Amino acid sequence: MMTEISLYDAHDPWVTINAMHRQQGDELLALTGFRDQKIKAHWLLADGSIAREQVRCSSDRFMTLTTILPEVAWDEREIYDLFGYTPIAHPDLRPLLRTQRWPDDFYPLRAAMPDRPLWRDGEPDQAMKVVQGEGIVIMKVGPTHAGIIESGHFVFSVMGENILCLDAHLFQKHRGIEALLQGKSFPAIQPMIARLCGSDSVSHQYNLLQSIEQVTDRHVSEVVQYRRILVAESERILSHLNDLAQIPAGVGFAVAHQKGLALKELWQRGMAVIFGHRFLFDAMYGEVFTQEDKLHFLSLITSFEALWAKWVKLTEKNVAFHDRMRGVGKVTRQDAKQLGAVGVARRATGEKSDMRKYMPLYQVVDFTVATALGGDVEARFQVRLLEVESSLSILRQTLARMGDPSKEEPFVVPSDLTGETVTFSESPHGLNVHVIQWLDGKIDRYHIRSGSYRNWPVLAKAVEGNVVADFPLINKSFELCYSCTDR
Amino acid sequence: MTQTMIVQSFGFFIAIGLSPFFVGLIQTTKARIQGRHGPSVWQGYYVLLKYWKKETTLPENSSLIFVIAPIVSISVMLLIMLFIPWGKQLPGVLAGDFIMVFFLLALERFWTALAGLDTSGTFGGLGASRILTIGIGLEPMLFAVFGLCFFLTGNTHFAQISPLWLRQAPHLLAWFLAAGGFALTILLEIGRLPIDNPDTHLELTMMHEATQLEYNGRLFAFSHFASMCKVTAMLAIGWVWFGPTLSSQWWTLLLHLFELGVSSILVGVVESFTIKMRFFRIPYYVSAVIGMGLLAVVITAF
Repeated sequence: MMTEISLYDAHDPWVTINAMHRQQGDELLALTGFRDQKIKAHWLLADGSIAREQVRCSSDRFMTLTTILPEVAWDEREIYDLFGYTPIAHPDLRPLLRTQRWPDDFYPLRAAMPDRPLWRDGEPDQAMKVVQGEGIVIMKVGPTHAGIIESGHFVFSVMGENILCLDAHLFQKHRGIEALLQGKSFPAIQPMIARLCGSDSVSHQYNLLQSIEQVTDRHVSEVVQYRRILVAESERILSHLNDLAQIPAGVGFAVAHQKGLALKELWQRGMAVIFGHRFLFDAMYGEVFTQEDKLHFLSLITSFEALWAKWVKLTEKNVAFHDRMRGVGKVTRQDAKQLGAVGVARRATGEKSDMRKYMPLYQVVDFTVATALGGDVEARFQVRLLEVESSLSILRQTLARMGDPSKEEPFVVPSDLTGETVTFSESPHGLNVHVIQWLDGKIDRYHIRSGSYRNWPVLAKAVEGNVVADFPLINKSFELCYSCTDR
Repeated sequence: MTQTMIVQSFGFFIAIGLSPFFVGLIQTTKARIQGRHGPSVWQGYYVLLKYWKKETTLPENSSLIFVIAPIVSISVMLLIMLFIPWGKQLPGVLAGDFIMVFFLLALERFWTALAGLDTSGTFGGLGASRILTIGIGLEPMLFAVFGLCFFLTGNTHFAQISPLWLRQAPHLLAWFLAAGGFALTILLEIGRLPIDNPDTHLELTMMHEATQLEYNGRLFAFSHFASMCKVTAMLAIGWVWFGPTLSSQWWTLLLHLFELGVSSILVGVVESFTIKMRFFRIPYYVSAVIGMGLLAVVITAF
């Protein structure tokens, strides 16, 4: 039998059509596989509509897009690990989540896979990307860390104090979340989606609700829409407060760190009173917002703003702090675009990329997209500061316009949902996309591509050439979630 | 004579005994400024007791160096404490030589670095490299600052410099420069902000702590206690040199203890409002201190 040698084919229709979208400046929402040997790419066009391209991978192979679209490198590796569809001529097809313990023919998302395969013996060690040479030290950090963070294994190639290359091995938990969702009904997956991750929970909940509403063609009342804005912006503030408080910790600015966390605590206690949960889990699903809640919210904003102004002054006054952030962890505008950076990381390079502008929900409020130019830690800090303030203004606008709650019939989700939806929202960490396929009221395929997932490769790029001691600072300026990348 | 001996021994034991308390004061000050209640000022004692009670295990790849290093650290610190004149000193009594102290500090640094390298862990090596790099700057800093003392008294003995020093300083400016320079040197030597952050859990940014990551049990109790004593010793040297003395031996000892408390709180305040500087910016810090020391000498000489 002859070994088949596959070469990259730039004229493959799958490649050309996606290259065309990129050239038009469309935004890639998701690229994922399906059990029926299909790969689908969803593009957000400039007019806000979504284009769907698909390819059928005959004999489990398809032409790689990584060569023209470096941002899908991880997505294609994930498809390879979970479905076994091979991207032809992918430049770096090391396992992303597969470990040596998985049996050879085990592809978790393929049809008819055992729940508990026969795990093989061996260390769960993955191939590393390292730089070799004289005086270069390979430094491994994690997966268990000294702080209260999740598990991620970082392999640094270090020369002296300088980082030459960072290879991040995430996906340590193997929750099997996408497989777990399959075959479940809407009420069963609701709490699971809300608990996908602690920092972007509301955005995930919103995507699920959107999917239901698209399939059933339901239109929610204005009050509920306003309430959704309140929840979403509350989460943005909560998450940004956490991220803003973490950045000073990276340079030993303990006062700003602790006072920032105190602000976050104040906000969380308010959230527990108004929406019933400190992390806003399940908060988006609710539809009741009473006059009393409104008063609570207004007084929370007032007491928050007084302390917030003090905190901003504390950090702005400290010249050494700003000096420490400037020029560190720089991402150029071009790299950000090529690697598919989203959210704060993208806006910190000066690009007005905010998905809220495409979300129908936000058409009723005025806000400006916050940007900064440096692309460094300081720029990301600055963007977050501005966004907290713009979110506060959105909250005030919304509360002012919100009428009295109307009595609504409780919505019953039909048991025969069928259809495919692509829903997206701007989470605190960037564009968050869910691809959901419903079949007879059950999930047939659920794919999650969160903001953190897209920004991890950008982080690896940002730390290159910086000193090792600055990694915590750069990492905290992205503050990416490990949980929503776990598969 | 006997009174000097009694005060000296008394001061030695009290200062050692209170070392964890002074570190506790720094921590409490920081906690209060951050708006936290913070642990008790006696936390240092509980921590030492905890380490002491725990089982001591050795890393697989470690050699005898790993065991010796903490013992060297604690011995060096106790020896330095012994050299510090705790009362008002009479010339010729208990001759502690400051050049000796510098080299004892260097010895301690050398062993700490060796211990960091010994286990061949990544962070140990990183920490060792960093503390030795800083050490290069530290020695000229100490010499530059003490150059003035030597220049004025012609002596390198603690005991003979301390009582004479203030009266002989002809220029207040020179005193300020040297004292300020030494204050900055202390922060570097005891591994506090803006150089090193002793409270961090981030291995990648650690300096001194990185060499200690593999330690546990009693060996760690030793090195932890040594770093506490180092804080007391460096602050005490500063006060003995640049602070006043009183006419009575006992009152001088009490004054020194009070000064140690005050300076611990000051370190806490400084730590709260400074940021850890970039590692490659430390040479500027070093050269600023050396410049201050030399300037003090120049002002005095002309």
